[in-house]
Amino acid sequence: MPVGAAFGIVARDLGFTPLQAVTCSATALAGAGQFIGLALMKSGATALTVVAATTVVNLRYVLFGAAMSPHVSRVPLGGQAILAFTLTDETFAVNIDDNRRGSADAFSMAGVGAIAWVGWVAGTALGALTAGLIGDPSAWGVQFAMPAMFSALLVAQAEDRRHVVIGAVAAALAILLMLTLPADWYVLVTPVLAATLAAVVYR
Amino acid sequence: MSETYIWTVVIGMAVANFAVRFPPIAVLSRVALPGWLRRWLSFIPVSVMATLVIGAVARPDGVWLPPAHNPYLLASLATGAIYWRSRSFVGATIAGVLLFVALRAAVG
Repeated sequence: MPVGAAFGIVARDLGFTPLQAVTCSATALAGAGQFIGLALMKSGATALTVVAATTVVNLRYVLFGAAMSPHVSRVPLGGQAILAFTLTDETFAVNIDDNRRGSADAFSMAGVGAIAWVGWVAGTALGALTAGLIGDPSAWGVQFAMPAMFSALLVAQAEDRRHVVIGAVAAALAILLMLTLPADWYVLVTPVLAATLAAVVYR
Repeated sequence: MSETYIWTVVIGMAVANFAVRFPPIAVLSRVALPGWLRRWLSFIPVSVMATLVIGAVARPDGVWLPPAHNPYLLASLATGAIYWRSRSFVGATIAGVLLFVALRAAVG
């Protein structure tokens, strides 16, 4: 919700109407992808470039979807479509955590998705409608809302020592690949390399 | 920034996002995954999150910042620690943003 509000504020600052900002959050539900889209629009990229770049950043959802798939094998296709639509960094982290504890089923996962959707859309509406009232958004630290949430989500994934080690390896790899690969390719390449290393080392 | 441009991006993002999310779930949940692939997948979440955090804090707005003068990095470490203690996503996120504003004034 606070991150949704941050998106609403930044989008309004860029020239979105409140309707456009809310529609974007309600239909894309893309978190980081939406923020990266705004950054590219600000720099004058074409619509095609913006969509392509957010797609590359969001290719991690292919990996998330693959990781979720063993847990939703008994859910019918329509239900899987709904779970796929509400698949975000937050719902993924929460649902994977619930599955690990054995307390997740199709309805609880759909509930997590619904709560996340409402929070994200309501937050965006709140941010978009109040954007004019708060002056310069960066004075309020709006740009840190997304990194703050990711930091918490990262800690939530540290279930045992092996995951802490791989998290640290991925962090180091990310820096290396940010320095060497073009654009935002490190977002996709780093997790693939780190998880492969983990699967080889931890048999 | 034109209306058409913004709506094109909004619709394009909606279509592209569903396209990357649905097929893997629909296809992979219908086949039995081998053990090595399950093990590989179990390390994807932590690897993705670590990558996203580093991308957001080491090079915010496309500029590398030295660690001691990087309010993003320092606030990120604090936010992670707060989540570790509180187990609250919303609480840690709000506390993190407040700390970021304070740290930016102090070291940024």
